[in-house]
Amino acid sequence: MSAEPSSGAAAPATTTPPPPPTDETPTRRGIFDPALLDACISCGFCLPVCPTYTLTHDERSSPRGRITLMRALETGRLDDDDPTLQEQASFCLGCRACESVCPAGVQYGHLLEQWRDHQWRGRHVPPIALAARAGVRVTPAITAAGRLRRAARQTGAARPDATAHLMLGCAERALFPTISRSVLRLLPPGVVDVPSGQGCCGALHAHNGASHEAETLAEELGRRMPGTILTTAGGCGAHLASVLGRQRVQELSEFLLAYWSEHPDAEPDLGEIRVDGRRARIGLQESCHLRNGMGVSAPARELIARVADYVELPSAGSCCGSAGTYSVLRPQDSRRVLQTHLDEVEAADLDYLVTVNVVCHRQMIGGLRRSRSRTRAIHLAELLAQAAGRSTPDTRD
Amino acid sequence: MSTVERTHTLTDAVLAELAGIVGPANLLVSDGDVEPYARDATPLFRARPDAVVLPTDTAQVSAVLALATRAGFPVIPRGGGSNLAAMTVAERGGVVMVLTRMNQIREISSDELLAVVQPGVTTAELADAAAAKGLLYAPDPGSRTVSTVAGNVATCAGGLRGLKYGVTRNYVLGLEAVLPTGEVIRTGSRLWKDVAGYDLTRLLTGSEGTLAVITEVTVALLPMPATVGTGVAYFDSLADAGTAVARIIGLGVLPATLEFLDNRCINAVEDSNHLGLDRTAGALLLFGDDGPDTHVATSLDRMAATCDVVGARAVTRARDVVESDALMAARRCSLPALARLAPITMLEDVTVPRPLLARMVDTIDTIAAQHHVVCATFGHAGDGNLHPTIVFDPHDGDARHRAEAAFDKVFHAAMDLGGTITGEHGIGAAKRPWMAARLGEDQLALLRRVKSAFDPAGILNPGKLGS
Ligand SMILES: Cc1cc2nc3c(=O)[nH]c(=O)nc-3n(C[C@H](O)[C@H](O)[C@H](O)COP(=O)(O)OP(=O)(O)OC[C@H]3O[C@@H](n4cnc5c(N)ncnc54)[C@H](O)[C@@H]3O)c2cc1C
Ligand code: SF4
Ligand code: SF4
Repeated sequence: MSAEPSSGAAAPATTTPPPPPTDETPTRRGIFDPALLDACISCGFCLPVCPTYTLTHDERSSPRGRITLMRALETGRLDDDDPTLQEQASFCLGCRACESVCPAGVQYGHLLEQWRDHQWRGRHVPPIALAARAGVRVTPAITAAGRLRRAARQTGAARPDATAHLMLGCAERALFPTISRSVLRLLPPGVVDVPSGQGCCGALHAHNGASHEAETLAEELGRRMPGTILTTAGGCGAHLASVLGRQRVQELSEFLLAYWSEHPDAEPDLGEIRVDGRRARIGLQESCHLRNGMGVSAPARELIARVADYVELPSAGSCCGSAGTYSVLRPQDSRRVLQTHLDEVEAADLDYLVTVNVVCHRQMIGGLRRSRSRTRAIHLAELLAQAAGRSTPDTRD
Repeated sequence: MSTVERTHTLTDAVLAELAGIVGPANLLVSDGDVEPYARDATPLFRARPDAVVLPTDTAQVSAVLALATRAGFPVIPRGGGSNLAAMTVAERGGVVMVLTRMNQIREISSDELLAVVQPGVTTAELADAAAAKGLLYAPDPGSRTVSTVAGNVATCAGGLRGLKYGVTRNYVLGLEAVLPTGEVIRTGSRLWKDVAGYDLTRLLTGSEGTLAVITEVTVALLPMPATVGTGVAYFDSLADAGTAVARIIGLGVLPATLEFLDNRCINAVEDSNHLGLDRTAGALLLFGDDGPDTHVATSLDRMAATCDVVGARAVTRARDVVESDALMAARRCSLPALARLAPITMLEDVTVPRPLLARMVDTIDTIAAQHHVVCATFGHAGDGNLHPTIVFDPHDGDARHRAEAAFDKVFHAAMDLGGTITGEHGIGAAKRPWMAARLGEDQLALLRRVKSAFDPAGILNPGKLGS
């Protein structure tokens, strides 16, 4: 696939395709980091793992096609108002499954943030994306909501002697307060603390075209919680890791495995989860950002297998369609993506489906309810707390 | 290289007819909608088509082609868009016809050892479905997860098992195909033996979408071998690895896999796959075989011993299937992994008679040095099929010209050794300039007469493969 031979080369030409000016060295608008945009070689290896490509089999909604669109935007071949650009920037789930298989190391997640930063300015911001950015900004409101619903009690300023500081995700502390309480039950007192006055980490801003604000928020949170931050949500974790550095952030499943293996005495007596007098059958819905952003995939499986029969679902590692605010922005597409997962859960006849991220948790609860499934969604922390016999009755949400 | 802006050859009446055939949702016309179809995996070539259609059945394919012949606009079939010769770039405008929505596996028959699939099924989907029934679909191109079966047929794709199992053409039993004039034909059959008529199945295999659009493929399957074993040998130089390959084949061993990577490839692959490869070795030879346990064990022993004799620095064996798969996966992604080195990656596909492999490798190195280009080479050693890959930065002065000049020399060197300009990636638009040198004018003229017998209006992928 080289091109025409250079002048003086001896190869005879059988046809004479006109070689007009190249656009490989075009003027750039500076929307994207050139090194990131140039990294893709259009091999297409990412197509089969992309949930939106799998739905459509249309290059436009594939990672490679989106990068081609970004390049057209960058070089001015397409302008900002182009409807396909608008549509594809929003149709993408931001799940970064494409990154996990890309041999060329394309950092699609960053490209998507740069794309949305540009694309979703002024009148092009989807109204709900704006709302999502604004909604999580109000720290006191979130704190109050969390307190009403009894999330883990905050313990004042971050303690320097804590092994890690437990982060209370915005949505999680309001919607699923038992998750953070369960975490505290899995570790000896004092190992982790829960610093007060936690703000938002900014992950949702990053997904919704406000990556500068997203960075500031993460940095602020990093200052308020110096040292290791422990998170129960892959989405928050991946964003924090990208701003503060991977070594500052630990996700629950990797943290528990490592901590318990270093301190065997600290591991609670994990019993068996039983349903109808037998060992429970439990599957997993991974978090894309945990898997593709933080590279954590095995620990949750290992932990589940300690307390029940672990059942691997074919799509355990692919996006469930919740994708940050996606299920709110594009409810129909979100449900199309979700359906595959629901079908697999039914086929596997599971007792529980474990989640490791709050938005996936909500997505799966809603989906399973709508499909009248007998399977219950449960966060990993809640499952383990239940196995440790230390759960509170409301874990079976 | 070519960049063609849109020709806008389609009239409103034609667009309306197209929408009527495939349905408005399966017809793309706006600049943004067709942009993703302006290129495939080939660097430096792009051209926006005037429209894109995504048909969902054979009748739609037929109606679009009949319309194209009547109205005189080009149609460019497209599968996974993973080819490396600009075969799906709409240089002359027209309609890109995407077959990925025709993606049903119709049948996997254990009794008849065959599968029947629609054109858009990927190679990996077919192989997985066959494996689930204990059967092997042997052709194994590096791009298997993205390439489609019909795309493989249209390019006669090779892969990582070519030495023992051959290439795609050895497995195609029959095709359903639509002629550019709209007629639906069936070539071949479900039979291993069938010599009624010219072998049109083979003629369409490797025809790069210039003769007919393939709408169904019947392929032969094999019983799944009991085990697979893989090993790795490191050498100081590619030439040593080449010598080892010649000795192995000289022994009468016909292994399933003999793949090699040079030092740059080893490092690029290690950067992306983290397998603990020896980054300092001059060359890596991946050898493997499949079959009954005892056969695989003996075969791997003999290959390992031969590598030792030739002076391998180290020889290791994969402990299990997982490790084997990881090694093969690493080899498959050599090309994209090399892309980490520079913005533009140009890959070639010359093939020489097996015994001349080491000599060709030396020649490539010399040419690369003479032209001051960064060249990495990997390939299917067992097939004499080399993929020299030049990486460069387009902003670096005349880097591109140097790359092109170097490849021109490489092609001629391969032909001088009795080899060819492309072993498996095809001619497309990218390799056209060297076709006459490879085939001669008489054969080219015949090729064009064949083309016009299939495609009197010259609408199907015009300009590709010398058409
Ligand atoms: C990383 C990488 C590794 C690769 N490794 C290998 C390898 O090991 N061996 C190898 O041989 N190739 C390899 N390739 C090249 C490429 O994958 C193959 O040529 C593959 O067969 C193309 O299939 P596709 O479905 O992507 O076809 P496309 O690229 O979409 O099209 C290829 C050609 O087939 C025609 N075509 C597609 N579908 C139809 C149809 N239904 N009817 C008629 N014509 C049709 C098109 O018009 C075009 O001419 C590799 C490519 C990449 C990017
Ligand atoms: S993003 Fe990566 S995997 Fe996808 S086409 Fe580009 S280089 Fe290939
Ligand atoms: S982030 Fe997910 S949805 Fe978006 S292109 Fe990548 S794989 Fe597809």
